[in-house]
Amino acid sequence: MGHAQPDLEGFWTPRIEQTQARSGQALIDELPDTAVLIDDTGAGELAEGDFAGLELTSAAIEEVRRYDFADELKSENTCNAPTAAFFMQAPFPMEVYQSDELVVFKMEYFDLVRVVHLDGRSHPPPTAPHSRSGHSVGRWEGGTLVVDTTHLTPGTFMNNGFNHSEALHMVERFRSSPDGNALWLVQTYEDPRVFDGVAARYMAWTRRSGEYVYPYDCDPSYGE
Amino acid sequence: MSVRPWQLVGFAAALWAAAAAAHHSFAVHFVADRLITVRGEVDEFTFRNPHGVLMLTAKNDAGVEQQWKIETNSPNILRRRGWTETSIRAGDVVKVEGYPARDGSNFMRVYRVTYDDGRELVGQRPDPSVVLGDD
Repeated sequence: MGHAQPDLEGFWTPRIEQTQARSGQALIDELPDTAVLIDDTGAGELAEGDFAGLELTSAAIEEVRRYDFADELKSENTCNAPTAAFFMQAPFPMEVYQSDELVVFKMEYFDLVRVVHLDGRSHPPPTAPHSRSGHSVGRWEGGTLVVDTTHLTPGTFMNNGFNHSEALHMVERFRSSPDGNALWLVQTYEDPRVFDGVAARYMAWTRRSGEYVYPYDCDPSYGE
Repeated sequence: MSVRPWQLVGFAAALWAAAAAAHHSFAVHFVADRLITVRGEVDEFTFRNPHGVLMLTAKNDAGVEQQWKIETNSPNILRRRGWTETSIRAGDVVKVEGYPARDGSNFMRVYRVTYDDGRELVGQRPDPSVVLGDD
């Protein structure tokens, strides 16, 4: 099937890059100067108490203070997947399916799926159900896919006890390389309940042919 | 029933607290820049997401037997490097290098499993941020 826009369909595996040599740096350069870039993509993680320089609200500071890391090792939390504000950066591959009206992300991590509507619809009312993938609408701006996501359940934001709220608003800009073999993404987040200003993350993937996403089938018995 | 303002505040706080503990962090639970080594006999090996688990009995420096819980990074990542459910079997004697738990317990994340014949299985590589490429 032909596309007027870039063809993002395929299997994409995370690309590990050094901070100083990001292949999709142009997307980062488009961020507002005040955006705080969270550098924890892939296997990297921020330590306890490191919030990448973000200014947390007093309510978020209190929530972090109450967070008990021992709870993470319990069976009931073993398969508690993060939301799209964190699962896109996990070091797992994904499959992308694309039509004129939809882009679908099938993530290997926790078997999660995202559907992005390109048909011009709006987000549902704030009282509509929230989920880990949230509600996403998108549009093409030239060769860039811009996705706007709301309705995420509260969830992991930095995997160090700092969670986002159900009010998080995420905007994503996806762009592929001229040869189509690299995919870049910058996510920006606003969540005034837990931090001031705008935060962002950068991700990159490499296209591979002939591969597919494995089942994750999270097993809670790992926990204690 | 009337609802007083303080009850609304409490309700909002309760909703927010619904962000329960999530899948655990490596950085918070393990020491990323130090490796320790244990050698012993495998009691059990499971290979399911989110982490494979190797239960191992090893002797400490005083010769006392201790049981270790050693987790792997995700089996999905390791399958693409050649690991399977039967890569390690109960009864195998192995040397395991890994990242120690911050709380000092007999718990670690595996970097490498080595057999006496030299066969190696590599789990989480040291400092993943400097291992460039695709995973």
